[in-house]
Amino acid sequence: MLEVSGLTTKYGAISALRDADLTIREGEVVGLIGPNGAGKTTLLGSIAGLIPVDSGKITFSGADITSLAPEKILRAGLALVPEHRRIFSDMTVEENLKIGGVTRNASERATLLEEMADLFPVLRDKWETAAGYMSGGEAQQLAIARALMSKPKLIMMDEPSLGLAPILVDLVFDLIDTLRTQGRTILVVEQNATRMLRAADRAYVLRSGEVVASGTGSELLERSDLFDTFVGR
Amino acid sequence: MSELLQNLIDGLGRGSIYALLALGVAVVFGIMHLLNFAHGELITIPGYVTFWAFNNGWNWWSVIPLIVVVSILSSLLIERIAFSRVRGSKDFTMLLTSFGVHFIVSAGFLLYVSASVKPIPRPDWFAKTVAVGGLRIEIFDLVVIAVTIVVLAGTTWLLQRTMFGLALRAAADDFDTARLMGVNSNSVIRGAFALSGFLAGIAAVFWIMREGQVTPTAGINPMLQGVLAALIGGLGSLRGAVLGGFVLGLAEVLLRSWLPLGIQNLTTGFVFVMIALLFIFRPGGLLSVPQVERV
Amino acid sequence: MFPNTKRDIVFPIIGSAVLFVILLGGGLIYQTIIGNGSAERLITTMLINAIIVIGIQIYIGNTGILSFGHIGFGAIAGYAFAVYAISPDEKLKRIPNAPFGLTETQVSPIFAIMIAVGVALIFAFIVGIGLARSGAQSGAVAATVITLAVLFVTHEVAKSWPELTGGNRGGVSFAIGASLGSRWPILLVLFAALVVARLYGQSRSGRLAIAAREDNLAARAMGVNPLVQQMVALLISVTVVAVGSSLRVWQIGSILPDRFFFDYTMLTLVMLIVGGRNSVTGAVLGVAVMTSARELARRLGQNGFEVFGIGLDEPPLDWIFRENLNSVVLGVAMVGFMIWRPTGILEDWEFDQWLYRKFGRGDEAEPERMDELEDIPDVRFTASDISVSFGGFQALSDAGITAASGEVVGIIGPNGAGKTTFVNVITGMVEATDGHFSIGDRPLEGKASFELARSGLVRTFQNLRLFGALTVRENVETASLVAREHRSDRTVRDVDSLISEAGLWEHRHRRARELDYGNSRRLELARAAAMAPSFMLLDEPTSGMSDTESVTMIEQVRHMAATVGAGVIVIDHDLGFITGISDRIYVFDQGRVIAEGTPGEVQANKAVQAAYLGSLAED
Repeated sequence: MLEVSGLTTKYGAISALRDADLTIREGEVVGLIGPNGAGKTTLLGSIAGLIPVDSGKITFSGADITSLAPEKILRAGLALVPEHRRIFSDMTVEENLKIGGVTRNASERATLLEEMADLFPVLRDKWETAAGYMSGGEAQQLAIARALMSKPKLIMMDEPSLGLAPILVDLVFDLIDTLRTQGRTILVVEQNATRMLRAADRAYVLRSGEVVASGTGSELLERSDLFDTFVGR
Repeated sequence: MSELLQNLIDGLGRGSIYALLALGVAVVFGIMHLLNFAHGELITIPGYVTFWAFNNGWNWWSVIPLIVVVSILSSLLIERIAFSRVRGSKDFTMLLTSFGVHFIVSAGFLLYVSASVKPIPRPDWFAKTVAVGGLRIEIFDLVVIAVTIVVLAGTTWLLQRTMFGLALRAAADDFDTARLMGVNSNSVIRGAFALSGFLAGIAAVFWIMREGQVTPTAGINPMLQGVLAALIGGLGSLRGAVLGGFVLGLAEVLLRSWLPLGIQNLTTGFVFVMIALLFIFRPGGLLSVPQVERV
Repeated sequence: MFPNTKRDIVFPIIGSAVLFVILLGGGLIYQTIIGNGSAERLITTMLINAIIVIGIQIYIGNTGILSFGHIGFGAIAGYAFAVYAISPDEKLKRIPNAPFGLTETQVSPIFAIMIAVGVALIFAFIVGIGLARSGAQSGAVAATVITLAVLFVTHEVAKSWPELTGGNRGGVSFAIGASLGSRWPILLVLFAALVVARLYGQSRSGRLAIAAREDNLAARAMGVNPLVQQMVALLISVTVVAVGSSLRVWQIGSILPDRFFFDYTMLTLVMLIVGGRNSVTGAVLGVAVMTSARELARRLGQNGFEVFGIGLDEPPLDWIFRENLNSVVLGVAMVGFMIWRPTGILEDWEFDQWLYRKFGRGDEAEPERMDELEDIPDVRFTASDISVSFGGFQALSDAGITAASGEVVGIIGPNGAGKTTFVNVITGMVEATDGHFSIGDRPLEGKASFELARSGLVRTFQNLRLFGALTVRENVETASLVAREHRSDRTVRDVDSLISEAGLWEHRHRRARELDYGNSRRLELARAAAMAPSFMLLDEPTSGMSDTESVTMIEQVRHMAATVGAGVIVIDHDLGFITGISDRIYVFDQGRVIAEGTPGEVQANKAVQAAYLGSLAED
């Protein structure tokens, strides 16, 4: 479904990507792990069209989406839940969700709003609350729900468990599981490598802008030198 | 007491127009981080069109929608020709661009029309007053306040209840993330300029009525009031802009009545100094929150 | 004050003289060709405008702050000059009731100019304080607004205080007695303005202002106090503008509020922008170009003008070429340049510096390798109990480290662990809710960034903050200028030696923004070292580097630190780099220090491994 080949991105002074390759097949949950500064966020940002790409190619369902505008990439079916969630804090939960569905028509949106309220009960409780007042865990759910409003074919999440207490981390991974049983395709960047590897079908390890390891979740988990690949010894 | 009330109404009347102008400035600033020094041209251009219209037999009923339409179109045209080409540039660049546009328009009218003042007839009910409980109130002020309330209510509805308004607010909050949601950057920017033009158009109707004339530099004063009011309220805050407009209007009127006679002429100067002081102590405006520096 | 006499004094003066001759010469040639009075007036006006534009350039060019207010200061000076220089007889006709007994006063024109400058400077100082308080920085809206207020307030006062200013209708017109018949005062002042502008740009204060213009945060981290330099720039620039404005009033023979308002502000700004706001040569070029363009437009707009036999006043061309075309030309020039070349024709190219590079610099030999410093003063850096909360979020709790002067101390931890917050606290960019830190026995908490840098704590930035438009050498020189003043008790290393040490000798004349990534990082390192720090704080110095590049950084950092006798505190995510370079390592997680020890100890620590890889729910 998603094919990234030879991606090289120089993004100011922050982690460059060097010749990164990545494949995601429909229905998979793929994890992207690695130490901080490895380029994981840059990779997602490049795919989503936020960061200009220097060289390489990104194809989605056969179409070349390299360097398209973010709004076009969203319409192609790729949604990104950004790092730090970036919800619109002055807008209510309902409004945040509505904006997530801006590319849908009104009746579709109404149906989707109901679906999200069912999937994320805590959002229903805070329907009219300004999003800026939500706790970290609630905000994360909102961010994911918002991305789902566009009916994406592929969802990308950037560090969904960042800054969350352990119980909420559980929640996030449960969510990923639920989404997977719904048949969605998901690419997740995560700092919590062990949990990610457990939850994922396949994973890539990124370090210093390069893919240094890949395989199924269990394969990578079993590697005794996982810590070493992280630190680069 | 009655004088105070009279001043209040007068101040609210002026403040209404300033609020509309300020809101127009704030809408554009929120989206593009551009302080639009050319906003006043959205009054100058309709002003000349109005002069032409009256010379060709139009009357106020037909001129009012004309003014609004011309204002919206001018706003979109200026965006297309000038601002679209400096999108994403440093604030310095965009500020100077708007300054340049202001100058081109006013110099253009100077060049291609005339430097002289073009008179515009006022509507017959303009000078009428009405007696309310011992006060003499100008009908004009009442009309302005009433219309402004309606327009502000309508704009609020637009921003809160329509998808377009939602997209605008999202883009003003976080432009990149809004694009991630599928909001089209061109559409939302043009929409902001159109809304800004509409608000300026309403303000233009009353400004032109009050001034009764148009000159090439007619745009400087409204632009200034709009920019100042938006700054008072805190750039980027739409509520603040409206508040700033009313504060400005009231301050003008109240200062004029309180200052000793000799210095009354310096009212505008005083207002400026106050604003400068405001900026020194609260650079973000009245409704601002201190910003943390990003490292 | 001036690091290099030849480059910073001799060549600027020579260059100014040449520019002066060219501008004047061009003007005289034009005058001779056209041969009438209007041409002479045009050139005189151009020369006066040049003075004022140069004055404005001194501020906008060196600080990067867009000021709309300088013409307002010009108005103040102009009116002060007029009121003091006019004879009482004239004043009796125009402003008989002037306050402060000014109707009876008269002084010589020179003295009047001095008074004008004095008055303008007083106001400039007050406004400067206001600008400083509002946090004025290159690009800040607040500064623009405040300066705009200056312009409008002076205009308002001039219009509405007719007792002093003659108001709007009559203005103040006069013959001073000694009329400005000859141009000598103008020529003298113009030359002086050029020299002052160039000398200021090359001086210590000018260089520090330019550094702050390029990157305000980085400048403060190098011990620069931008507010002081901006005030200096403001005062010098207002002085030049004040003198020029007085001459302008003297030449015209009258003053009206509108002469020093929006239109003139627009004219002077466009001239500066078109030529290149960061360069004095640019200012001069802009004046020449816009004067020519406007004159051409004006002539094209006159009746009966012909080009190649085609009368330009015939339809349909007469629709374009009309009178007052020159005003539109201004606006079009402004917008056009903003769209296509915002930095102006010359950007920041200076004629005298080009001369210096061609003729004055000569060959330079690469310096010898420096020895590591012996006799390093033994100071300890101590931080303890540092806590920071942002709103409800506890970013740091009781964090603390120590470091000795010969040591390299590493800080590691997962994302969000509080490492950068910690560095921001000890470099003055974030205020801690609790805790202390000190070098030796000197407490440092609560101090501003530039004070901390001057006390010996110098940092680099994760996002790489170089002074982009400055050359490699100028970047390092900036730090050295500060160090020589505030770090004189330490060994301040020679700029060229540090550049050579960092492996940047062949790039020393290239602009920092043109360097590739690895060299940029090395430049940041050299610049920090030039501050003669007691401790260098490196924030993710290998961010974005490949593994091989990171390994070479280890030796580079160690050697640079040893050359200046600094201890090192380094944050990084590259554990290979950190374990290779550090003597001791602190591990942060969730805002606390969870482990400390040698690299070997820390790597074997299970808690550290868990922090990095994430624990399973059952743990």
